[in-house]
Amino acid sequence: MVNHEDNDEEEKENLTVRELLTEIKDISEVIVDLAYAALLFDSQEIGAEVHHLGARMDTLNHEIKIRMMLASRTTQDAVQLSGLLQVAEGAASISNAAGAIVELLELNPKGSPIVSLVLKEAEEKIRILNLSDRSDMKGKSLEDLSVETETGMRVIAIKRGIRWIYDPEESERLKEGDVLVVRGTEDGFERLRRFTTGAEKWPVYPEEE
Amino acid sequence: MGPLEEMLLEIKDTSELMVDLAYSSLLYNNRDIAEEVYQLDTRMRELENEIQEMAVQKATEDKDIKKALLIIRLAQSVGEISNAALKIADVVRRDVPPHPVIQLALRETDVIITAVTVGEDSDLDGATLGKVRLATNTGMFVIAIRRGRRYIYGPDQNTTMMGGDTLYARGPEDGEQYLKDLASGKEHLNPKDLTS
Repeated sequence: MVNHEDNDEEEKENLTVRELLTEIKDISEVIVDLAYAALLFDSQEIGAEVHHLGARMDTLNHEIKIRMMLASRTTQDAVQLSGLLQVAEGAASISNAAGAIVELLELNPKGSPIVSLVLKEAEEKIRILNLSDRSDMKGKSLEDLSVETETGMRVIAIKRGIRWIYDPEESERLKEGDVLVVRGTEDGFERLRRFTTGAEKWPVYPEEE
Repeated sequence: MGPLEEMLLEIKDTSELMVDLAYSSLLYNNRDIAEEVYQLDTRMRELENEIQEMAVQKATEDKDIKKALLIIRLAQSVGEISNAALKIADVVRRDVPPHPVIQLALRETDVIITAVTVGEDSDLDGATLGKVRLATNTGMFVIAIRRGRRYIYGPDQNTTMMGGDTLYARGPEDGEQYLKDLASGKEHLNPKDLTS
């Protein structure tokens, strides 16, 4: 599991307000997908990551509040900065809601087909794919492949052996046997599946002149 | 799928659309889009109440209290997400424009939002979103379309795009340029990438 806590202390000193808000928004998006994934796959492990990200969100929110208070000089400042704080709070509420969704694991949603039915029928679904040894995606990074641009599917987590990689970095290289947790439309899923099974080669485009 | 499942599905999709629209309204300081977040919220509240009622009713019939609790709490959490979207969109309704750093921060996120205009020579002019498989081919998912003064929010696969439309889409940063080029007519889709 990725351990964010070790880095928190040193990082927050250096992050600008823009960087703080960018990370806050990023977490607000991936955390909801991960919460639904936890329910869908009945996974306490994914649930633990949601709580982890939630704690990170709280740290970032606290930090941004302090910065705003220090930065406010005039009434106009205060109004604009309070708006910025409100955005951060909204994102924090989303992360709280994701935490509450994970709590539902205690009610054993796996025994209740309604949750998986709803999550599988949603416009953008969360699904899993195995990376076959026949797939030419293996050994390449998410950045090399531009998976999302090519297929519309966003990789929200990777399970490698017993290890999980959540919200993987662009530089993350895929390995055969990886289980990819992806989010996107049905059509994009079908396209990506052709590549992960090795049925189709990953498209290569001529270098731009 | 029963009515309860359908309503759950609708609130989940709506809550996500609301968050996307809320961030879009901020990025473009667009009050029309912010207003739609409020409109969608009214529908969310109605559905949330109906879901609660129906879940309780089913619990009295099937004696499955856990299931009812699960449904009610899930609906509640999804409702919280839509509340958060309201909070975010509310910033646009103030007299003072949003702080510029908000726009800068939103441009740097993993999932960006963009607005592109469909040109007359574009493959997108007159095509449905499903026909050109826009999300699959570009990675960019269209959340709203502005046509003249009208908006189409949360378009589906059967929604037709037209020359002059502005598409609001979210996706990875490296999908933005391709979508722009497709929309302007500079790039064209490969026939094998279309829905047959």
